[in-house]
Amino acid sequence: MVKQFNVLGMTCASCAVSLETYLKGMDGLNSVQVNYPNQSIFVDYDEEVANIEELSNKAKEIGYEIVVGQNKEGESLVSTVKASRESLLKRRLIVAAVFTLPVFVISMFVMDRSNSLNQLLFWLSIPVVFYSGSEFFVNAWKRLRHGMTNMDTLVALSTGVAFFFSSINTFTDFFSNTITQHGGIYFESAVVIITFILLGRFLEEKAKKKTTDAINSLLNLAPKTASVVINGEIVDSPVESLLKGDLVIVKPGEKIPADGRIKKGETYIDESMITGEPVPVHKSKGDTVLAGTVNQNGVFRFLVESAGKETFIADIVRQVEAAQNSKPKIQLLVDKIASIFVPIIIVLSLVTAVMWLWLGPDPVFYYALINAISVLIIACPCALGLATPTALMVGIGKATKLGILVKDANALEALRTVDTIIMDKTGTITVGAPEVVEEFWSSSFDILEIKNALVSAERLSEHPLSKAVVSYYNESLNGTCKITGFKNLLGLGIECYANDELFHVGNHKLMTKHNCTIPDEIESVYANWVKEPRTVILIAKNRTVAGLLAIEDQIKEDAHNVIDNLKSKGINVIMLSGDAESTVSHVSLKVGISNYHAALSPTDKYNFVKQLQHEGKNIAMVGDGINDSVALTQANVGIAMGSGTDIAMSSSGITIMNSRLVNVSNAIHISKLTSRTIKQNLFWAFFYNVAAIPIAAGVLYPINGFMLSPMIAGAAMSLSSLSVLLNSLRLKVKK
Amino acid sequence: MIATFKTNINCGNCIRTVSPVLNALDNVESWQVDIENPDKILTVELDDQDVDTVIKSVESAGFEILLID
Repeated sequence: MVKQFNVLGMTCASCAVSLETYLKGMDGLNSVQVNYPNQSIFVDYDEEVANIEELSNKAKEIGYEIVVGQNKEGESLVSTVKASRESLLKRRLIVAAVFTLPVFVISMFVMDRSNSLNQLLFWLSIPVVFYSGSEFFVNAWKRLRHGMTNMDTLVALSTGVAFFFSSINTFTDFFSNTITQHGGIYFESAVVIITFILLGRFLEEKAKKKTTDAINSLLNLAPKTASVVINGEIVDSPVESLLKGDLVIVKPGEKIPADGRIKKGETYIDESMITGEPVPVHKSKGDTVLAGTVNQNGVFRFLVESAGKETFIADIVRQVEAAQNSKPKIQLLVDKIASIFVPIIIVLSLVTAVMWLWLGPDPVFYYALINAISVLIIACPCALGLATPTALMVGIGKATKLGILVKDANALEALRTVDTIIMDKTGTITVGAPEVVEEFWSSSFDILEIKNALVSAERLSEHPLSKAVVSYYNESLNGTCKITGFKNLLGLGIECYANDELFHVGNHKLMTKHNCTIPDEIESVYANWVKEPRTVILIAKNRTVAGLLAIEDQIKEDAHNVIDNLKSKGINVIMLSGDAESTVSHVSLKVGISNYHAALSPTDKYNFVKQLQHEGKNIAMVGDGINDSVALTQANVGIAMGSGTDIAMSSSGITIMNSRLVNVSNAIHISKLTSRTIKQNLFWAFFYNVAAIPIAAGVLYPINGFMLSPMIAGAAMSLSSLSVLLNSLRLKVKK
Repeated sequence: MIATFKTNINCGNCIRTVSPVLNALDNVESWQVDIENPDKILTVELDDQDVDTVIKSVESAGFEILLID
């Protein structure tokens, strides 16, 4: 049995990994997947062996709560907890900053402190350590009971030890015999670490909130009410009350409230949000309509087949959510390092204690304790919390200037490892809006007169392609013919009189149906043009065809270059499309993609991505439609085009606002620069502190009697933070 | 044509039940039940003369129906 629940209490990506690892071994549990951005868990369990209460209890053991029962109350509980997490962090950060500043200033600038000044530092540090820093201690303790460590452990250990050691030295003279310099007061070290790391977490939480809000808004594509015919009267009723078999009326410009089949009327429907196809589709009796698509010009009635949570779009949303769970997790560099670093530090500290007990001067016990503590105090770099967020913020700022919107900071970190890029066709490689690309006119007509009539007539047409014609000629022609007897022939074209001459504009079928002669010359051009994936419009004057236009969704100018560029970087480029084979192969040939797949459903695209991931590939998916959204979510990094649908943007960590394809390779470049900066930052964050570890351990003592002093701790703190900040800023000017 | 029937479609709930079957009929343009009337008159606007399909569908939904004119 597969079920999904919300989880409370996860504060970082490694919490998700830890919860997953912790639950994995449970009896009767076939599989478990934790989704961090969505704060939920997906479990597949054997009902006879395991039950959810047991699972929930087990999660509680390490400090997480599984919200059993997906009722509305549960949902609202989760959202309030989420909102309060951000405001709680904010409050804690403000408290930490307010109290840390005086502690830091006094410690740095007043070298010879009286005992009462040290007591003041103690009182100022209490709110920072016990209020602002409480989550580090709570999390570290919960994890410690199960033998697990992470960044929280490191922070709790260092700050806790620093605070208590300093307190003892402030109020007692327990260590006073052995401490020679500055009385061993490290309050500033403890509070600065807490403040900086809270700042990093707050920045991260802010970035995360945006993604979750976007996912919550996905279902709002369908309208809230529908015009339903109930007992012969039109009633505005909420979409939730729609049932299978209800008759719904849709007027021009309205969104379709449910999935169903047209009973009466015909119209053009803009389905681009689902198919990505820019041209509205002609629909008449018996054709399927989908919730969330937009009715263009006609009035029609349709019979509801599925509504609410059963619609195609709701199904896509469910698939997107499921894909979030199966999406490969990004292992963050900082967590990777912290998990190795913590055990090493503890071992080092123990080794120090043993060495002093063995070789140290009297009183052996005091020296051993002080130096072991010093190692723990110096180990936690306060710049650790800043290393990733500052680099990401500069990287994100750099990306934004180019029109690349980074919503999920982790996606930027992950993009550098991508080896395969999957691109959607319509709207990604092509412009996504049809344009006139070619025209041909017979020499036996007054072309200017015909073009003028054409523009005048197309202005009145509601057909989606007419816009392409009008905008093509708009600059050269004003289209001032007097149009009379205008007739819209659905599925064919238009018929009208321009300055009292009869004109037909439309497809080949219109010409044959309305007995227009097509000269051989025109017929051969037509035959040539339709070989390519384009729409051809014929124009007839007094029932003789005078010329024709080809309309096509053009390939973006930079497409070929960008794809070549990506290939030269060793990235495999693949095109996936829901369109017909002939159109897709034509485009793939033009842009130089040899690997393409046509006529795919949203699920096919998703499976394709999953299959490649299974083969060990790191995938970035670029797309713009609802049909891409499941694949966008599943991909290691999803990149949406800003011209596309909201749902695609919500499913992606990165959105290219100006839809320029070159920004795909720019984003990869920025990701590489940013990741390099993060690595350098982590190096600088640890460098001064690691360098000070031998001093803390007392290596210099036999030489000159020197032991760790708050001055060294303070210097390491300032130098590492400064190095990290400067290094992040350096990213700004890098090309 | 407009056809009227005597039925036992008594209340709003009955209308809810009969809606899908009547809506689904191709030849039905519109329909309405007057539940205030003791005879529960169903008026149907048809595209053709085919009243039998209306009778059959309403019966299939579990109601009694009798053509008046």
